[in-house]
Amino acid sequence: MAKVTDIVLWDKPGEKVLLLGNHAIARGALEANIAVFAAYPGTPSSELTDTMAAVAEKAGVYMEYSTNEKVAFETALSAAWSGLRAMTAMKHVGLNVAADTFLSAVGMGVEGGFVIMVADDPSMWSSQNEQDTRVYAKFANVPVLEPSSPHEAKEMTKYAFELSEKFKHMVILRTTTRISHARGDVILGELPEEIKQAKRKFGDFKKDPSRFVDVPSNARKFHPQILEKIEKIREELAKCPFNWIEGREDAKVGIIAPGLAYSYVKEALAWLGVDDVKVLKLGTPFPVPYKLLEKFFDGLERVLIVEELEPVVEEQVKVWAFDNGIRIPIHGKDYVPRVYEMTTRRAVTAIAKFLGLETPIDFESVDEKYKKVSAIVPPRPPSLCPACPHRNTFYAIRKAAGSKAIFPSDIGCYTLGVLPPLKTVDTTVAMGASIGVAHGLDVALNGVPGERDTKEKKKVIVATIGDSTFFHTGLPALANAIYNRSNVVIVVVDNLVTAMTGDQPNPGTGDTPHGPGKRILIEEVARAMGADFVEVVDPYDIKATYEVMKKAIETEGVSVVVARRVCALHHIGQLRRRGEKWPIYTVNEDKCTGCRICINAYGCPAIYWDAEKKKAQVNPLMCWGCGGCAQVCPFGAFEVMKEGE
Amino acid sequence: MVKEYNIVITGVGGQGILTAANLLGWAALHAGYKVRVGEVHGMSQRFGSVIAYVRFGEDVYGAMVPEGKADVIMAFEPVEALRYINYLKEGGLVIANSNPIPPVQVSMGLATYPSMEEIRKIIEEDFKGKLITLDAEKLALEAGNVITTNVVLIGALTQTPGFPLSAEHVKEVIRLSVPKKAVDVNMKAFELGVKAAKELLGL
Repeated sequence: MAKVTDIVLWDKPGEKVLLLGNHAIARGALEANIAVFAAYPGTPSSELTDTMAAVAEKAGVYMEYSTNEKVAFETALSAAWSGLRAMTAMKHVGLNVAADTFLSAVGMGVEGGFVIMVADDPSMWSSQNEQDTRVYAKFANVPVLEPSSPHEAKEMTKYAFELSEKFKHMVILRTTTRISHARGDVILGELPEEIKQAKRKFGDFKKDPSRFVDVPSNARKFHPQILEKIEKIREELAKCPFNWIEGREDAKVGIIAPGLAYSYVKEALAWLGVDDVKVLKLGTPFPVPYKLLEKFFDGLERVLIVEELEPVVEEQVKVWAFDNGIRIPIHGKDYVPRVYEMTTRRAVTAIAKFLGLETPIDFESVDEKYKKVSAIVPPRPPSLCPACPHRNTFYAIRKAAGSKAIFPSDIGCYTLGVLPPLKTVDTTVAMGASIGVAHGLDVALNGVPGERDTKEKKKVIVATIGDSTFFHTGLPALANAIYNRSNVVIVVVDNLVTAMTGDQPNPGTGDTPHGPGKRILIEEVARAMGADFVEVVDPYDIKATYEVMKKAIETEGVSVVVARRVCALHHIGQLRRRGEKWPIYTVNEDKCTGCRICINAYGCPAIYWDAEKKKAQVNPLMCWGCGGCAQVCPFGAFEVMKEGE
Repeated sequence: MVKEYNIVITGVGGQGILTAANLLGWAALHAGYKVRVGEVHGMSQRFGSVIAYVRFGEDVYGAMVPEGKADVIMAFEPVEALRYINYLKEGGLVIANSNPIPPVQVSMGLATYPSMEEIRKIIEEDFKGKLITLDAEKLALEAGNVITTNVVLIGALTQTPGFPLSAEHVKEVIRLSVPKKAVDVNMKAFELGVKAAKELLGL
C-alpha cells in the first residue's frame, strides 16, 4: 500500500493498483500531459485537487487552489485558450459559482483540451442539494462523460482531453460520490516524457477579439456554431469507446444504463440470473448518440432506462423515439426513483418489476425487521471534533448574544453548530451566503439606521463564516453590508485551513503547492473595507472571546470578529507526526456536581454522562487537550490527568 | 476464486475505518481479485456514524454492498454494528469491538444506548446472524498502541469462516503498509486479534 501521491507518478505502465476514483482521474490527467490545473476543493471532488497539488512540482504541472470555482474555471480556461491542456474540478454546486463564465465561454471554444471535472453528490452525503450536472451539460450544450468504474474514470479523463481538442469545445467529466470515493483496480498507462521530467509547459495566446470578446455581435454567431458542434460531437460519440451494446443480440427487452448505473445493472442481472436482455452501456449521457440508439432499438419490444437522479437520458431517448416513429414502451422514472443515489437494490427492484420477476431478497421484509432497529438505535450525527475551536466560538456567541439573536451561518465544519447543544446556526444556504443573509435579515427586521425608533429593541444578528468561505464568496457580501450600513456582527471562524474538505491552504494561510504565496489577513481586509469594529480573538480563551462578542454586538454598524485558532484535527495530526504529546483531561469526581453544563451547553464528544455515578466522564482516547471543559465547568472539576499519546 | 465477497465496516468517524477498508482492498488486489471499496468523506466523517464497504470477486461492479449481501460486518463500536445490520446476509458473522462510544444525544439524555443483550438479540434472532465481540482497544494497548485497534479487528476478521484471503497474506500486506517503526506493534495487534477470534469462534 504505497502512498497515493507516489502511485500516481509511478512509471509502471500495465501495473494494477487500487485507486480512489478521484486519484484515478488525477493519474488520467497526468497521462494526458496536463499543463494547468486549478480548483476550489469541495466534497466529493477534493482528492483529485489535493493529489494534483501534491504532485504538481514533481510533474511540472501548474496547480493552484483558487479562491472559488469561478476563478478556478477562468484560470484553467485561459490556459486552454492558450493551447495548453487544462482542467478544473469542483463539486456539483461549485458549477453554480462558475456558471457565469462557463455558460458564456462555451461558444468561444478552446485550443488546448479543457476538461471540467464535476463531482455530484446524490443522496447529499456532504452537500446542500443533489443537482444533476448532466442537466447543466445539456443546458450549455457541452458533452458530458460519466464513468462506471475508477479505471474507466482514468481512461475517460484522457479521452475527454482528446475530444475537447478535436472539437475545440469544452468537455465535462461528471462523477458521483460512488465513483469519486470508490476504490477500484486501475491499470496504469504511459506517462508522457514532460510529466516524467517535470517540464513546465507554456502556452501561446493568439489575439482574436471576434472570438474572445463576447460582445453581442460576436456572441450572436456563437449560438448556431455551438448547436452545429454538439451535433457533430453526437455523431462522434457513436464511436466512443465508453459506449457499447452488450448481451443477447436477439433479445426482445433492452436496458439502457448510463454512467455508474451500468455497474448496478450488471450486478442486478447477475443476481437475478437474467441473460436474455440487451444492454446499452452509455458513458456519454449527453449528447446521446442517435446512431447507437438505432442499433440498440432494432428488434426490441420494451426498454427500461436505469438512470440515477434526473431523466436526462430518458428525455433524449423518448424525443428521439417519438421523432422516429418508434412506439414501443420506454420506461424510466416510472420504475427508478428520481431522488437519492442509485443502489443495486434499486436497480434489481426496477429490473425485476420490468421483467415480471421476484426480487432475489424480499427487501420489504428486511425493512420491516429493521423498524425494530430504527426504534432503539441512538442517532449519531457528525459533530465538531474534540478541541474544535468553533465549539468555543459558538459557546461564547450564544452566551453573549442570547438565544433570541439570529445566527446566519455558512458552509463548512461549523455548519455542525446547528446541532444540540450549541444550536447557534439558524440559516445555511450556500457558500458565502451568511453575510448576505445577515444583512438581508437586518434590513427586513431592523431597517437601515434612522428608519426605526431607536428605543425599539433591535434584533441581534450574528453571522459565522469560515476563513476559506470568507475569501470564496464572503468578500462581495461584506462590501455590500458595509456599503449599505448594515448593523450585524460577522464572526470569521478562522481555523487557518480549509478544514472540511481536508486541510487545504487558502489566502488566509498563504501557502501554495508551489511554495509560499502572499498571505492575506482577514482583519486587514475588514479594516480596509471600513468595518466599524474589527478584533481578533483566540477562541481557546472562552472568556476573552465572550467579551469581544459583547463589544461587537454593542457596536453600531458592521462588526467583524476574527476568531483565530488552528483546526484541532489538523493540529493533532501534526502532533502525531512529530511524536509529540498533549494533555488529557479527566473529571475529578469529588468536584463534579453532575450539573451537566459540559454536556448540555458545551457538548464536546469526548465528554459523556455516566448514568450510574451521575457524573461527567472524559473518554481519554478522544480528548485532544484543549481545556475548554475546564473553562466552562463552574466547579473546576476538569483536571489534566496525564500527557496523552 | 470467489464470485463475490462482501465486507461491511462500520464505526464512528475517526476510528480508522477508511484505513482498514483500504488495507483490506489492497490485500484483495494483491491476491488477484477485482476489487471495489466504497467510502464517504467530508462532513459524515466528523465523529458521526460511518460505513465503508470492501468487495472483491468476479461479479463485483459497484462500490456498495447491497442490503442482505454482507458476508461479514466488522464493527468498531457495538451500536454501529446494529445500525447497519440490514446489510448482513442470513447466517453472516458480525465481529464487533465491545467498547461503546455514547453519542452526544445519549449523554444529553435525549436518546438511550441499547444494552448488549438487546443488540445481540436483534442480530441473532431477527437477522439470523452470529455476533462475536472483543475488546479491541484493550488488545491494541496490549500490543503497544491503541492506534492499532483496526489491525486487531482485521486480524479477527481473517478468522471468519469462509474468508477468502489467508491471514498470512493479509498480515503481510499490513506489514508492508505501515511505517517501519510500527511493524512490530501492528504484527502483534494482528496476532492478538486472530487469537481472540479463534477462541470466540471455537476454532
